[in-house]
Amino acid sequence: MSELIIKNIQKFYGDHKVIDKLDLQINSGEFVTLLGPSGCGKTTLLRMIAGLETIDGGELYIGGRKANNIPAQKRRIAMVFQSYALFPHMSVKNNIVFGLRIKGMELHDMFTRLDWVLPLLGLEGLENRLPREISGGQRQRVALARALVLDPDVLLLDEPLSNLDTALREMAMEELKRVHRQVGKTIIYVTHNQAEAMTMSERIAVMNAGHLEQYDTPGALYRHPRTMFSAEFIGSPSANFIPGTIEIKNGELVLNSEIGLLEIDETRKDYLRNFSGRSVVAGIRPQDIILSSTRTHRRASDSHVTLGVELIENHGDRSFVLGRFENGLPVRFMAANDSDYRTDARVEVLIDGRCIHLFDPETRQNILEK
Amino acid sequence: MKSGQEQFPSAARLKSILPLWPLLPAAFYLITFLFVVLSYLLYLSFSTASGAFPTLATAGNVFAMNEFRQAFVSTLLFVIVGTPLELVAGLALAMLIYKPFFLRSIVRTLFIIPLAVPGLVTATLLFIIFDSNGGFMNHILMGKYWFFPHVIRHAVDWRGAQWSALSVAMIGKIWRDVPISMLILLGGINAIDPELFDAAKTMGAGLRQRFRYVILPLIIPAISSVLLLRSIEMWKEFIFPYILAGRYHLLGTLIEFLYMEWGGKYEHEAAFVALVLVGCIVVSVAVFMFLVDIVRRMVSDVR
Amino acid sequence: MGKLDRFTPTSPLKRLVWTIGIVATAFMVMAPVYLLVKYSISDMESINTGGLPVPLWPYHPTFAVFSYLFTDPEFWQVVLNSLWIAIGTVLLSSLLGVPAAYVLARYKVPFRRAILIGIISVRLFPDISSVIPISVFFISLNLYSSFSGVILAHTLLALPYVIFIGMSAFEGIPRDIEEQAMTMGANQFQIFFRILLPIAIPGLAAAAIYTFLLSWDEFIFAHFLLDPGGKIQTLTLYLRSRITFQPPQNLLAAISVCLSLPVIIFSFAVQKYMISGMTAGSVK
Ligand SMILES: Nc1ncnc2c1ncn2[C@@H]1O[C@H](COP(=O)(O)OP(=O)(O)O)[C@@H](O)[C@H]1O
Ligand SMILES: [Mg+2]
Repeated sequence: MSELIIKNIQKFYGDHKVIDKLDLQINSGEFVTLLGPSGCGKTTLLRMIAGLETIDGGELYIGGRKANNIPAQKRRIAMVFQSYALFPHMSVKNNIVFGLRIKGMELHDMFTRLDWVLPLLGLEGLENRLPREISGGQRQRVALARALVLDPDVLLLDEPLSNLDTALREMAMEELKRVHRQVGKTIIYVTHNQAEAMTMSERIAVMNAGHLEQYDTPGALYRHPRTMFSAEFIGSPSANFIPGTIEIKNGELVLNSEIGLLEIDETRKDYLRNFSGRSVVAGIRPQDIILSSTRTHRRASDSHVTLGVELIENHGDRSFVLGRFENGLPVRFMAANDSDYRTDARVEVLIDGRCIHLFDPETRQNILEK
Repeated sequence: MKSGQEQFPSAARLKSILPLWPLLPAAFYLITFLFVVLSYLLYLSFSTASGAFPTLATAGNVFAMNEFRQAFVSTLLFVIVGTPLELVAGLALAMLIYKPFFLRSIVRTLFIIPLAVPGLVTATLLFIIFDSNGGFMNHILMGKYWFFPHVIRHAVDWRGAQWSALSVAMIGKIWRDVPISMLILLGGINAIDPELFDAAKTMGAGLRQRFRYVILPLIIPAISSVLLLRSIEMWKEFIFPYILAGRYHLLGTLIEFLYMEWGGKYEHEAAFVALVLVGCIVVSVAVFMFLVDIVRRMVSDVR
Repeated sequence: MGKLDRFTPTSPLKRLVWTIGIVATAFMVMAPVYLLVKYSISDMESINTGGLPVPLWPYHPTFAVFSYLFTDPEFWQVVLNSLWIAIGTVLLSSLLGVPAAYVLARYKVPFRRAILIGIISVRLFPDISSVIPISVFFISLNLYSSFSGVILAHTLLALPYVIFIGMSAFEGIPRDIEEQAMTMGANQFQIFFRILLPIAIPGLAAAAIYTFLLSWDEFIFAHFLLDPGGKIQTLTLYLRSRITFQPPQNLLAAISVCLSLPVIIFSFAVQKYMISGMTAGSVK
């Protein structure tokens, strides 16, 4: 009953198109993340859902009801702002019950809600403090409590963790997941941090420059990026892109890339035969480039490439290696720390044809996924 | 002087004070005038034309004056009525333009026009408009124009009665000074994070509730600034009642009247009234601070 | 529009109420200015209407009173007087105020806060209360009814503004510039005259204009310090002397226009600084 449907939605600031015909469907109780770089329109979209921003085109349905013209006050949504927007002159308690008071709730019910939400977010004992008298993490939880206590159909969170330090952020992420499990609300969560999105959400809507790039589960996003943008934005470090063409060499379908011939996985050959002669961009995740020396058995889909190591960033168990292929194209990959490579050394790596994502250089769409 | 070593400022200290010399001329100027004003004011107030000093004779004369008592009450009313009116008007204007909108800066500039018109000119214009004989305001209220209903039957002699004369003076004063209140309040409102309004909106608060629960408590400092500064201005007011209220004196115009109209005969009484005016301001500032403190404590109790 | 329309009221009704509010206020603000101009170009028939409504626009607009004013030597005399007094005030208050502003903005002055509060309180002290001691004092110094007396008094009024506006002008200059000059061996004088002063000129010019206007339309001190029957009169006194029992309204309006025109024009030039001068002290 609290599912959310966004159809063809549009937003302009003057002549500047900020949201461009965006479609999104969010199921009741689902945890969905809007993920994208700063300025791509996530906040704008969220504010349109909240009713804080007019909708210039398309339709918005909340719980089956068309909501375009329902004012924010009546939408049964709650929002947690990036700055938390706690009322500085009200105590924690008054901040939390503000919305209930506005709705004219009985004192008794108000306290019941308060007694439910304070322990849920570990805020007992802070009721009478002012926002400036509590820590950043506590403020974030007050903001969340203030939204939850309204019992909204949809909970909107705009980068709620971006003002926290790393340790706090991880705790807050777990907590948010726990709260979602306990209250089962539909949550739309905005972030520009792909790690946050991957850990928390059931589905991720990747946004770029006002439109939707891909809408999928975290796993599908990682394994099957629909666009070059998705491949670049999801996964860390981001994917390598290598231009090339699909060709038939000696009767075999291969990818003739700038770094040499790359094998194509058997299972895809039939489909890709239609593309022979076409130029493509190969997207390869750093995790899918493997030092040959660490691999004992060989697969038919493996290709061998040599490269020069330029920089090694030690991440403890593994290292992130920056190198250059022989033609000068830069490359990033991950390598285990116990293997044998040094700065300035030449090493041989394996690229598994099954892990290569192929994109059309014009449309930047994945030609294998539709 | 406390200890032997500190008798002379150390070289380092001297070096840090020496570059401050350009302050001296202005400081000298201001301090001289301060000294002159205070000492002459006190001296004149507590002496008489015959040279007696110190004496309360002048004070006695003033307190015995009917005009003084009337002027004091009128001034008090002027302050008590005028200051809140100016606050409310300033708040209304500030609420109209605190949100960014197309051409806002031009509208804001427009709203500041009254400040750019000299007070004497505004007073003169009101003098013309509120003329008892063929004045524009009388014609309007008598329903002679299509755009205004018929309210009064006969022309009103605005300057001929105390309440109307002082009211017209107050209208002029408020019209001229409301932009200052507006600007101070605008500063206060614009310092509020707009996301607070959004947050209140998503929590169901309508326009009135947002004003009552979010804007109002957060601009209490700006409001008290307005009340304090503008009430001082109201006490001090001279030009509007001087031009518009003739013999219905406020303290300010009474001072002028005593000093100028009697060929120096009441110079000492004028000085004493001037001193009383300063005293009124000091006392009202103190009372105001006390009230603000109470309000602040009440607000913090509520939480 | 862009970012600007983000907060405008959304519902048509609210928008209507808001627009009416803006228009009504703009009207309230403009109406007196309009009326002033209207009266100044009114012919007698539009003023003494004999019971007919005063016309919203004169029947026969005329510049007759202006040409009367402009051919009256007394008018020119008072304009010149006002001008001299204002210029004198600008010079004296800048001479005193700018160095003080520089020091207050740039050096660690002991009791700085107390000094600033003291300067603000000078402005809060009622003119009408300080004018009597000052005129008695000036009479004893033979400064009564002289240019210098009025200039000295106006400087007292203007000094706090000059110092405050001047301070913000100097504070706006990055310190690096000075330090750079110091490392190049410049002394206090050279830094002030060669570097800071030229950069601060716009702000200081605003202070000067503000001072000029303050003196130009000042009434109380001029009224007390200049003999009403004496030779030196200012434009404000001239206007006041014309307000009699049944004064010619168009003449009053015409003098008012002459008095306010420079003020209105220059006020908008220094709007930003004027606001900071007016609201100084509101931020505690
Ligand atoms: N009020 C506004 N007026 C004009 N442009 C805006 C406004 N708010 C946001 N924008 C523009 O819209 C785009 C999307 O902004 P936003 O939704 O805040 O991005 P995100 O939250 O993804 O960082 C940006 O290019 C931004 O400059
Ligand atoms: Mg954002």
